[in-house]
Amino acid sequence: MAAGYEAGGLLVREAGEPGRPMLRWSSRASSIEGVQAELARIWASVSLAMPGEDGEERRVAARSSVMNLVVVAGRGEIGERAAAVIHGLAGRHPSRTIIVTPADPDGPSWIDAQVQAHCVLPSHESPETCAELVYLTCGGEAGQHLAGLVAPLLVHDLPVTVWWPDEPRLESSGARELLHMADRLLVDGSGWPGDGLDRLAMLASLPGRFDLDVADFALVRQSRWREAIASSFDLPRLRPFLGWIRSMSVGYAAHDGAPRATNVVKPIYHLAWLASRLGMTVVEPLAAGREPWSGYAGELRAGRRRIAAGLRPIASTAPGGTTLEVALTARRRREVLEVRVTAQAEGVTVDTIVDGERMPDRHYLAARRREGDLLAETIEDAGAHPLAAEALAMAAGLARG
Amino acid sequence: MVAAAAAGARTIRDERLARDGRRRRPATAPDANPLRKGLHLERVPDPHVMVLFGGTGDLSRRRVFPALAQLWRTNLLPQDWMLLAMGRRPYDDATFRDEVRASLREYSRVPLEDAVERQFLERIAYHRGDFDAPATYDALVERLAALDADHATAGNRLYYLATQPSAFPLIVGQLGRTGLDHEVHGGGWRRIVIEKPFGRDLDSAKRLNREVGRVFREAQVYRIDHYLGKETVRNLLVFRFANGIFEPIWNRRYVDHVQITMAESIGVEERGSFYEETGAIRDVVQNHLLQLLSLVAMEPPATFEADALRDEKVKVLRAIESLDRAAVEKSVVRGQYGPGWVAGQRVRGYREEVEVDPRSETETFVAARLHVDDWRWSGVPFYLRSGKRLPKRATEIAIQFRDVPHRLFAGAESNPEPNLLAIRIQPDEGILLRFGSKVPGLGLDIRTVNMDFTYGSAFSTDAPEAYETLLLDAMLGDASLFTRSDEVEAAWSTVTPILEAWLDGPAPSFPNYDGGAWGPPEADRLIERDGRRWRRI
Repeated sequence: MAAGYEAGGLLVREAGEPGRPMLRWSSRASSIEGVQAELARIWASVSLAMPGEDGEERRVAARSSVMNLVVVAGRGEIGERAAAVIHGLAGRHPSRTIIVTPADPDGPSWIDAQVQAHCVLPSHESPETCAELVYLTCGGEAGQHLAGLVAPLLVHDLPVTVWWPDEPRLESSGARELLHMADRLLVDGSGWPGDGLDRLAMLASLPGRFDLDVADFALVRQSRWREAIASSFDLPRLRPFLGWIRSMSVGYAAHDGAPRATNVVKPIYHLAWLASRLGMTVVEPLAAGREPWSGYAGELRAGRRRIAAGLRPIASTAPGGTTLEVALTARRRREVLEVRVTAQAEGVTVDTIVDGERMPDRHYLAARRREGDLLAETIEDAGAHPLAAEALAMAAGLARG
Repeated sequence: MVAAAAAGARTIRDERLARDGRRRRPATAPDANPLRKGLHLERVPDPHVMVLFGGTGDLSRRRVFPALAQLWRTNLLPQDWMLLAMGRRPYDDATFRDEVRASLREYSRVPLEDAVERQFLERIAYHRGDFDAPATYDALVERLAALDADHATAGNRLYYLATQPSAFPLIVGQLGRTGLDHEVHGGGWRRIVIEKPFGRDLDSAKRLNREVGRVFREAQVYRIDHYLGKETVRNLLVFRFANGIFEPIWNRRYVDHVQITMAESIGVEERGSFYEETGAIRDVVQNHLLQLLSLVAMEPPATFEADALRDEKVKVLRAIESLDRAAVEKSVVRGQYGPGWVAGQRVRGYREEVEVDPRSETETFVAARLHVDDWRWSGVPFYLRSGKRLPKRATEIAIQFRDVPHRLFAGAESNPEPNLLAIRIQPDEGILLRFGSKVPGLGLDIRTVNMDFTYGSAFSTDAPEAYETLLLDAMLGDASLFTRSDEVEAAWSTVTPILEAWLDGPAPSFPNYDGGAWGPPEADRLIERDGRRWRRI
C-alpha cells in the first residue's frame, strides 16, 4: 500500500522489517492541548489493528515508554540530529521524546508541533513497539518557559531525562525550571567552547541544587580508556603501586598552543576519575600556563604524598581535546612503575615498565562510538552512577584553578 | 586487637589522622583493584590457560569458541590468557586456528572485526593426543609450563571437559596422576568445568562424583547446565527476590499449580545415537526442568553467594516427593513421536531417524506431576512437560494462581480466568501477568487481559549467550550458576525411580503421538484428572 496520510495522521504502510524503525503516524498541532489530543488519537486509532494472515484482526502496535526524553535543541539542525539518534533507539529504549527548539524570542508567542509515532517490529510474531516523538518549535515568550510547555506532555510516573546537546544555557531561568522537573541531565562537555572548565564546575553543582543525576558523554565516551588503564593494575604484582602514585599526566590533541583555547573536558576526566578512585584530594587546582603549549598543572594529595597532575597539549591533527596519552608514574620500595596508555587507530595500547623492565604491550580495541551508542549506554546506566558522580565532582575541584 | 590488626582494620584515630593527612594511608588492599569499581566489569579473570578437552568437537565449534571470542571482543578476558585445545586430530597451532576461524564465522552471534579475530586466534594453541594415553598428559605438563613462561599465565588453569561423558573419569584421573590438579601456594588455581550429562542415574552420578572428588575438591568443580546461564533464567531470581510484591503470594495459599514446559519443534536431528542412550528424561528433565523447578520453588537464600543459593536449591530437590512404581504409572507419562507435520513440513517419526533403532523404546516426550513437600508448597502440583517434535519451540514457567474465593461478578456476561504469571524463557523472553478487566460500556462484561513485558522491547541490548556467562563465571571462580555434587545427586534421586519403573514395566506402545502434536493424549489426561489443563502456548 502506498504511503500517505490517512485518518488524520496515520501513515498506512505494510508491516516493517524486524528491528527497523518506521514512521507510522505524523500529524501537526499548534497548541499544547492540540499535541495532547494528537497523542491520545494515535493510541485510540482503530486503524492500528490490521488483519492478520489467519483473517483475525491483530493489534499491530503497542505503546512502549521507559522514560520521558526531553531534548533542548538550541537550533533546528541540532534537533534534527538528536531526532536521528533517537530514531535509532526506538526499539532499544522506547521513550516519549519531546524535542524543544526555541525560535524568534522577540516576536509573539506561537507553537508549532509535529507529532509522530515511530514503531519497531521486534520479531514477526510480536506486535510492533511504538514510541512517540514531538517536535516542538516555540517562538516569542512561550519559548522562554520550556518547563511549562513540556510538563503537560510528560508521561507520568516515568523518569524525565533532559538531553541538552551543544551548549547548554544552564544558568537561564528557563533551564532552572526545566531542571527542577528532571531526574537526569545529559550533556556533552567535549563540545563546549573554550577549555570548557568553567561550565564543568557549574555542571558539577547541579546534582546538589536540583536533585538530579548528571551524565556527560565526554566521560562515557572514554570508558575503553578506563578499562585499559585499570587493566594494568589487575596484575597482582602491580596493584600495590596504586597506593604510591607520584604523577599523572594526560596528553591531548591541540591545534594551536594558546592557553585555554582547546576544550580539555575529556582529558580532565581521566585525571578526575583516577583521583576519585584512588581517594586523592585536590591541593592545587589545575592552572593554565601562560606560555603557549604549556598546558595545565596542578597538585593532588593522597595521605602525605603529593601527586603532580597535568594536562599536556600535543600538536595533532586529531580533533582538539582528544585524549592521546595517559601516563602514570609510581614509586614503591625503590621500584619505579611507568604506565603509558596511548591512542592508536583502532584502540589504545598500554605500555608498562617496572624498574626499567618493559612488560608486553597490551592492545585494547576501542571502536569509536557514535552519539546513539553513548545515549544508549547512558540510558542503560539508570540512576546515579557512582563513577560519574565522583569523577564529575573531582573534575570540578580540579577545574577551579 | 591482634585479629583486627591482622585483618588490616584501623582505629578511629588512625582514620582521623589519615584523613587529615598526618598519617600515611595504608597501601591499597592487594586483593582489589579500586580502578575497576564502576567499570563494565568490576573484576576480570586472573591470567590463566584454559585447557579444552574435546577441542575439535561439535560443542567446542558451535558454543565454546564463539563464546570465548565474544568475551575477548568485549575485553572481558585477561590479556594474559591462552586457550589450549586438546584433541586427537592431526592439527598444529596454525591449522587448528583456521578451523576455529571457520567456526567463528559460522556461529558467532556478532561478527568479529578482523583485528579482534586476529588477536583472539593468536591466543589459541593446539595439543594433539589421545585422552587415554598417559603420555598425552605428561606432554601436557610441559606444554603448560611453556605457555606459562611465554604468556605470563601465572600457573592458573581452567580445564573444560567438552568430550563424551565416558572420557570424564579417565581425563580427571590423568590430571590427578600428573599433578595438574594441584593448587600450589602462589602457583595458581585449578578449576574443572564438566559438561552434562553428569551420570546416567543416581548410582553412576555418585560414582562419577566420587572419581572427580578423588582428584578435585568440590570448590574446584563447575558442573555446567547451560540453562542456568540464560538471561531469563537468571532474571527469575531477580524477579522473585528483587521485587517485594510477588514473594508474599508465592506459596500454597495463593498458587494453585505450576506448569513448566520446554517444547522443541525439532526432532533429534543428527543426535540419534546420543538420544537413544539418553531420552527426554535424562536429556532435559533431570537437569533443565528440575533446575527451573528448584529456582521457582526455593526459599530466599540468605546471600547471593554460590553455596547459599545452591543450598536452597538442594532443599527443594530433596523435598520433591519420591515416586514409587504405582505413582510413576499415575503421575508420569512418556511418549515418542511418530511421523507428522510441523510448521507445514512433513516430518518423519523418531524410529525413522538416523542412528535410531526402528524398535526404539526411547522416550522423546515426558510429562510429570511432582509435589514439593515442604511448608511453602505442600499440596501444590508442579506439572512438567518436555518433548521433541511438538508444535513449536517454547520454554515457559507458568504460575497459576487460585481463583478468587467469592465470585462477586457471577452475573457478569463472562467470568475472568484466574490470575496467571507466565515467565517465558524462550523465545520472546518476557513476563506476562493475566488479570480480569471490565470491558468499557454500560454492561458488566469482564474480560481477561494481559500485562506483557517483553525483553525484546524493553531492552534490546546485547544479551550474552549462556556459554559466555558461564565461562566467564568459571574463570572468575563464581560457582553460583553451576550445579553442586549433592544437587546433581538430588536431581537423580527424583528421576531414577521413574527410569527404574519404566525398565520394569511393560514395553510402551510407541510411537504414541504424531509429530506436531502436544504429546500423547495421556499427557492431557494426566492434568485433566486434577481438573486442570495444559496451557496453550
